[in-house]
Amino acid sequence: MDTFGFLMQGLATAFEPMMLLYALVGVVLGTAVGVLPGIGPALTVALLLPVTYGLDPAGSLIMFAGIYYGGMYGGSTTSILLNTPGESASVITALEGNKMARAGRGGPALATAAIGSFVAGLIATLLLAFLAPHVVKLALVFGPREYFALMVLAFVTVSAAFGESALKGLVSLFVGLALALVGIDQLTGQARLSFGVPQLLDGVEVTTLAVAMFALGEALFVAAQGPDHGAGVLAIKGRVRMTAQDWARSWKAWLRGTAIGFPIGSMPAGGADIASFLSYATERNMTRHPEEFGKGAIEGVAGPEAANNAAAAGTLVPLLTLGLPTTATAAIMLAGFQQFGLQPGPLLFASAPQLVWGLIASLLVANVMLLVLNLPLIRFWVLLLRIPQPWLYGGILVFATLGTLGVNPSVVELSMLVIFGTLGYIMRLYGYPIAPVVVGLILGPMAEQQLRRALAIAQGDPMTLVQSPIAAVLLGLALVALVVPMILRARGRGDALAQIGTAED
Amino acid sequence: MKHALFGAMVAAALAVPAFANDYMIMAPASPGGGWDSTARTMQEVMQAEGISSSVQVTNVPGAGGTVGLAQFVSSASGDPSQLIVGGYVMVGAILTNASPVSLADVTPIARLTGEAVAIVVPAASEIQDIKGLVDAMAADPGAVSWAGGSAGGVDHITVGLLAKAAGVDPTKINYVAFSGGGEATAAILGNQVTAGISGLGEFLPQVEAGTMRLLAVSSDARIEGVDAPTLKEAGYDVVVQNWRMVAAAPGLSDEQKAQVSADIEKLAKSAGWQKALADKGWADTYLAGADFEAQLAKEIEATTAVLKDIGLVQ
Amino acid sequence: MTPRGAEGRRPDGAAFVIGAALVALGALLVWEGGRIPNKQGYAGVGPGDVPWLVGWVLVLLGFGTVWEGWRNPAPPRPRQQAVPLVWLLGGMVVMVATIHWIGFVLGATILFTCAAAAFGERRFGLAVVSGLVLGFIIYGIFDVLLQLNLPAGPIEMLIFGR
Repeated sequence: MDTFGFLMQGLATAFEPMMLLYALVGVVLGTAVGVLPGIGPALTVALLLPVTYGLDPAGSLIMFAGIYYGGMYGGSTTSILLNTPGESASVITALEGNKMARAGRGGPALATAAIGSFVAGLIATLLLAFLAPHVVKLALVFGPREYFALMVLAFVTVSAAFGESALKGLVSLFVGLALALVGIDQLTGQARLSFGVPQLLDGVEVTTLAVAMFALGEALFVAAQGPDHGAGVLAIKGRVRMTAQDWARSWKAWLRGTAIGFPIGSMPAGGADIASFLSYATERNMTRHPEEFGKGAIEGVAGPEAANNAAAAGTLVPLLTLGLPTTATAAIMLAGFQQFGLQPGPLLFASAPQLVWGLIASLLVANVMLLVLNLPLIRFWVLLLRIPQPWLYGGILVFATLGTLGVNPSVVELSMLVIFGTLGYIMRLYGYPIAPVVVGLILGPMAEQQLRRALAIAQGDPMTLVQSPIAAVLLGLALVALVVPMILRARGRGDALAQIGTAED
Repeated sequence: MKHALFGAMVAAALAVPAFANDYMIMAPASPGGGWDSTARTMQEVMQAEGISSSVQVTNVPGAGGTVGLAQFVSSASGDPSQLIVGGYVMVGAILTNASPVSLADVTPIARLTGEAVAIVVPAASEIQDIKGLVDAMAADPGAVSWAGGSAGGVDHITVGLLAKAAGVDPTKINYVAFSGGGEATAAILGNQVTAGISGLGEFLPQVEAGTMRLLAVSSDARIEGVDAPTLKEAGYDVVVQNWRMVAAAPGLSDEQKAQVSADIEKLAKSAGWQKALADKGWADTYLAGADFEAQLAKEIEATTAVLKDIGLVQ
Repeated sequence: MTPRGAEGRRPDGAAFVIGAALVALGALLVWEGGRIPNKQGYAGVGPGDVPWLVGWVLVLLGFGTVWEGWRNPAPPRPRQQAVPLVWLLGGMVVMVATIHWIGFVLGATILFTCAAAAFGERRFGLAVVSGLVLGFIIYGIFDVLLQLNLPAGPIEMLIFGR
């Protein structure tokens, strides 16, 4: 049977009423658990995997696909509504999404996230089905030096896109880079900045930092304005649905996000977070509404959300074609496959086509189910914002600590939550942007490790970094992104520059 | 009033009566990892086989298991219902992290599963056998880059032992640590490094697909169905196994220890455990009692020596 | 970084404190980078080099922040009230300090109540009861059904038999 035939067969199975029910249950459970800050898709899948044990392989697979996509999507809902990104890939979503929610545009923000996730999931799943063996060849070309170049590009483009003041953005970024150094150095096993505290040896957990800085820092900041002040949160203003203009501004961002997310997700050391960063930087540079960025630009939600979902599907490329679990989520999925006595590997497409195509069909169905379930729910979600402020924030704080309590309830970890929350408050008070701290924490170790790996392989020859064509091109792009704004500024075209969104104080 | 009623309903629905041989297993790692899945598989099987009526798993992640180990030693002392899962990685982590507690502070019960380490090269490599690789390393250690798991982990230790056995200075090996989860495998497939070293299970599918060449395995004897010599056969006296074990709390009486050992033996011999091992592709390396303790002592000594040689431990 | 404020206005005091903190953090990193064994291996870049670099940049940024604060007057900042901050931070600290003794449900109740109080809720009885209910629901779903193992205390022992 050919590719298309297998896919049709898989879809036929997936559309049986019982299977649709499993998909629905999976999506509901995945979304419900995934909305909790600090509980990302990996933990959601890990927690819910046992639920699928009792089912037959087809049912189990489809429920599993539902949980996976549901968990991915769940994170964006709380990021947008409550400014509590529970995982690294939805940090960027919170930036513009929460601003929109506060202005009463939570409905369109959630809708563009949901539809963007759907579009990206659909395209990426189809790419996975038809192009996976080819994409993976390209992905393998990426070695440490190419990843290093990619990280440099991400650093340059992303840090140019943050905040009004370059100085403040850089301070935030370097605070993040400093935090990233805490813990055991991956390459030598040397402990750094841990001061003999064993709990610090594993470094600062991204979710702990993100939840603390966004959710707790925000709560402190709003509380300190006093109870009468009101945070200026409008539950709904205008329509809950997307307007024609929202559509017009979103669809290109979805496609661009997908185009960025899928390849980066399929790289063994890529990741949904980097995809979302690059997508955000791209949207910020291409938008016709630069003045809205930082205040709730819909492209800033649409692009990154599409990118992180496309990256999630991209993760399956190395998993299904090479048997490489490249993310924690994929590693847990491996465990899921193993319950059918199946070892994903390079021969999986040939040896167990029914299961592979069954999974791909399940992903497509789960993706549709997610949209069907979530679009109508949006009007209920936005009502969350109508909960009286004391109760809303009480609930946010309880949920925000839940992730940490469930994963690592040590006093050190919980204290970090409080300390970083306070830091987030202070930074808000003095106008320092929050997101670069998280970006620094995520990108810093990757850049450092890939650089040192590349140099070790080349026995210390720095020329190795530009000797690969891909690395050279990526570094060249980074250089252009860094230098062009400087030249423009030197020519006294600061105004034009401000308009393309790399504004400086 | 309503809430008291709610509480009572929840209690009635969910209360589990306590039995004498309840167990609390600590997985000193995050949910989803190897130790966690060992602990959770034990939980499942012990309950299903009626060895214990109630088994709980707690996760205390951090620093190669040493954070969990320290907590276990201080909080579980003398409590026969508490168990901790661990493994060879912990032996190295205790040394490299200068952990204040060690495996001498717990009561090792049994080794449960284990996996040999495999050495591979990309299919396109000119190197055909383990001798070719070791000779290349002897000629120019820096030119042979090894992709493997974390620094000081079982892969790194194996390369150090191999270098030592082959008369190469272990401090000169060019070991490139990758974060787990297939990144090392990707670097090997992409021809980024000379050789790769990792658990056999991680490489076998690639070897079967012909994208990697398996040069040697670190087991004591040839592994059934795997077409590669052991390092020993090839003339390098290196035997390494990445095992997982279960240990009980310190300060148990002999009777308590015997009871726990009996329960773990029942687990290891049960059909449910055997099936779980087969499903997950884990090898059964059950070893208990004095034999296990002697083996453990020997490995700790060898690991300490090689970590000093590599320069990771002073 | 272009100076904008009129000369002679009051410099921004907060910028001096922030700048000093950044310099201190940078100095700590530089010190740590020099202290640890810098095993460069074949890479030529060791574990101490990146902390050293990041540390020096932080020191520079610290001086830059002080310079900015000197040149520009303090921008208007929202008025901050201390009482809600004390409620919120106090609730967090008490929760962190006690949760391993009192368990998840009571910890969540304390946190919920303090947070509500920080946002102006004065009906404490109602807040406590809501916190308890929320705690029970979360514990029931995540610990009992999904095996997430949240900290257990006397209440959890009594009701869920943990």
